[in-house]
Amino acid sequence: MSEQRNVCCSGDAKTLVLACSGGSNVGQIANNVMIELDKKGAGNAYCLAGIGAALSGFVESAKAAKTVVIDGCPVGCGKKAFEKYGIEASQYFIVTELGIEKAHDFSNLDRESEMAFGAIASSI
Amino acid sequence: MKKIQILGTGCAKCMKLAENAQKAAKEAGFEAEVEKVTDIKKIMEFGVMMTPGLAIDGEVKAVGKVLSVEEIKKLL
Repeated sequence: MSEQRNVCCSGDAKTLVLACSGGSNVGQIANNVMIELDKKGAGNAYCLAGIGAALSGFVESAKAAKTVVIDGCPVGCGKKAFEKYGIEASQYFIVTELGIEKAHDFSNLDRESEMAFGAIASSI
Repeated sequence: MKKIQILGTGCAKCMKLAENAQKAAKEAGFEAEVEKVTDIKKIMEFGVMMTPGLAIDGEVKAVGKVLSVEEIKKLL
């Protein structure tokens, strides 16, 4: 993982991390992993909602950056939001593929987020 | 009149983009106001995470690169 911070006109493309942040355990785990990756300096947490809302600054930033997209489940809202603009994530993860089952149960978020973070951070 | 905004805190690349935008508007025969947006909070409000960025009439058209005069003319 490499350090990423706001630098004006930096020569290197920034890494943006986007999570689906959906309304299930795996959506929120995706969000927690995004926050941890930002804290560890692996990339900057970024707004998938801005892309879903077709806000030009968000769409153009995602086109220009290296991107890590984390969806909670195979519905793949993050991936589909990218596809609307012909953007392919540099790296793509689905939390349910890490062995965590989708549920509307938020009681194990800390433990499951830690597990997902370990798997994703080691692949970045 | 078109409003062209250069999003960046003022480094050499931002200045070059502003210069190219001025030239592009002139060569394309557009009346344009070129505004340099240097406040990082305002830049973030556009959702832009890499500079320089270029917005035309409030719409971000490019991020993280210095567009040429010809490229900007195509966007006007």
